Amino acid sequence: MEDLVPRISAYLAHRMPAASNIEVSGISRIHGGASRETFRFNAGWNEGDAKVTRPLILRRDPVASLIETERDLEYNAYRAFHPTGLPVPEPLYLETDLQWLDRPFFMMEQIEGCLAGSPFNPDPYGSHAEKVGRQFWMHLGRIAAADPDAIGFSTNLEPVAPDGAAARELAKWEKVIDEDELVPQPVARAAIRWLHRNMPSPAERICVVHGDYRSGNFLYDEEGDIRAILDWEMCHLGDPLEDVAWAADPLWAFENPDRPGGMISRAEGFRIWEEESGLTIDPERLRWWEIFNSLKGLAIWISAGKEYQTGANRDPVLAFSSWYCTDVHNRVLARRLAQFSREARA
Amino acid sequence: MKPDVDTVMQGFLMTLLGDIAPHLDAEYAVGNTGIMGMMLLLAGEEYDRAADIRAAENAEMRSLFGGAVSFVDDGRLKARLNAAASGKDTSLRIKALDATNASLLALLIELHEYVEAVDTSSARRLEERIWDYLISSTERRKLTFPLLA
Repeated sequence: MEDLVPRISAYLAHRMPAASNIEVSGISRIHGGASRETFRFNAGWNEGDAKVTRPLILRRDPVASLIETERDLEYNAYRAFHPTGLPVPEPLYLETDLQWLDRPFFMMEQIEGCLAGSPFNPDPYGSHAEKVGRQFWMHLGRIAAADPDAIGFSTNLEPVAPDGAAARELAKWEKVIDEDELVPQPVARAAIRWLHRNMPSPAERICVVHGDYRSGNFLYDEEGDIRAILDWEMCHLGDPLEDVAWAADPLWAFENPDRPGGMISRAEGFRIWEEESGLTIDPERLRWWEIFNSLKGLAIWISAGKEYQTGANRDPVLAFSSWYCTDVHNRVLARRLAQFSREARA
Repeated sequence: MKPDVDTVMQGFLMTLLGDIAPHLDAEYAVGNTGIMGMMLLLAGEEYDRAADIRAAENAEMRSLFGGAVSFVDDGRLKARLNAAASGKDTSLRIKALDATNASLLALLIELHEYVEAVDTSSARRLEERIWDYLISSTERRKLTFPLLA
């Protein structure tokens, strides 16, 4: 890892020609994000007579990842939302030239003095659960309320029609399962058939969809204030109910659907989201997106298992996801789909 | 093999978290230690039950296929159900059981899709049986999440 230090210094010198005496220190890889290699470090330099120091984050593409995405999507999301006041880190540099760090990467502001609650802890926010939970749903409502064109999020993205969002996402994740499953997946296949048979009504409006908005993917401070919404690797244009359903997925709440992410009640969270977004949660459409998201989860965990099994990426979190998360989503889907089947046959 | 595998895995977890992790400086290494420790517990749980789960599932799927043969009109699917129903596990090694399990699961997916397209009371009963099997399979394979302090 230390060999990154001179290379990062050289890159910063390239990006900041007016800076001198650039020093990179305290570099440390952060655990958890298997879709990018994430490092924190401190950068110091001189600008004229002034000494500047800034804690930064480096997000570099891995050789293979849990979620195969393009880093400019994530960078563009930070660039679009940072000026809006939504708590996201300030994006600084996006680099696709491999000469610097062998793989594409971007750098952004490091938000210090914060925690990220684990999605695999039954009570990740403790006494802050209420306060964090209200902000969690409020910020998600703000993301849905944002105009994707006005904030520049839509730049270079293919337009999505309200009646095409669901089919587009289903095709994307069905393809992942087709390509990556190592063993036949009867629950996932039943879910795919159910989703095709029960396509939802069009999105109320096409919005920015974060794509992985859940406990563990934001930072909060000791006062219980959310300071940074992170991990936008899967962001896209689509139906905002996709994010609502993912945030409320039973996986993030120890299978307790009434208290998503161990924060506030589902009903209260949904109320806040509706108020903030100006949109309505249609129960039928939400149900489709709930099943879709559990399938999308399965696709991600199946893909992670393949990465690990083939040796493309031996990050232990991939093996854990493939064992534990596949197990949860298979159970969640089997119970719900069996119930739908009984209701449809009655 | 003594000490028992689950006992060894639990012991390794304690060693990893209590003796090794505190001496690591890199947060990425500490995080990996925690994940690997949890995986040791899950592996210990699976070691004890893996053959039992797979043998039971394979037997249940064969029984389900045997009961479905008379329902299916498609000659090719009927023949495959018949053949699968009369099979048996000849090895209790996990990889052998897994290979058979995968082959039976592929057939189960075909049967499930076939049944969903038929609107009769016998189709309803067969679909219920398939769902009963899938629910019991996912419950049987449930991993106990290790809650570490």
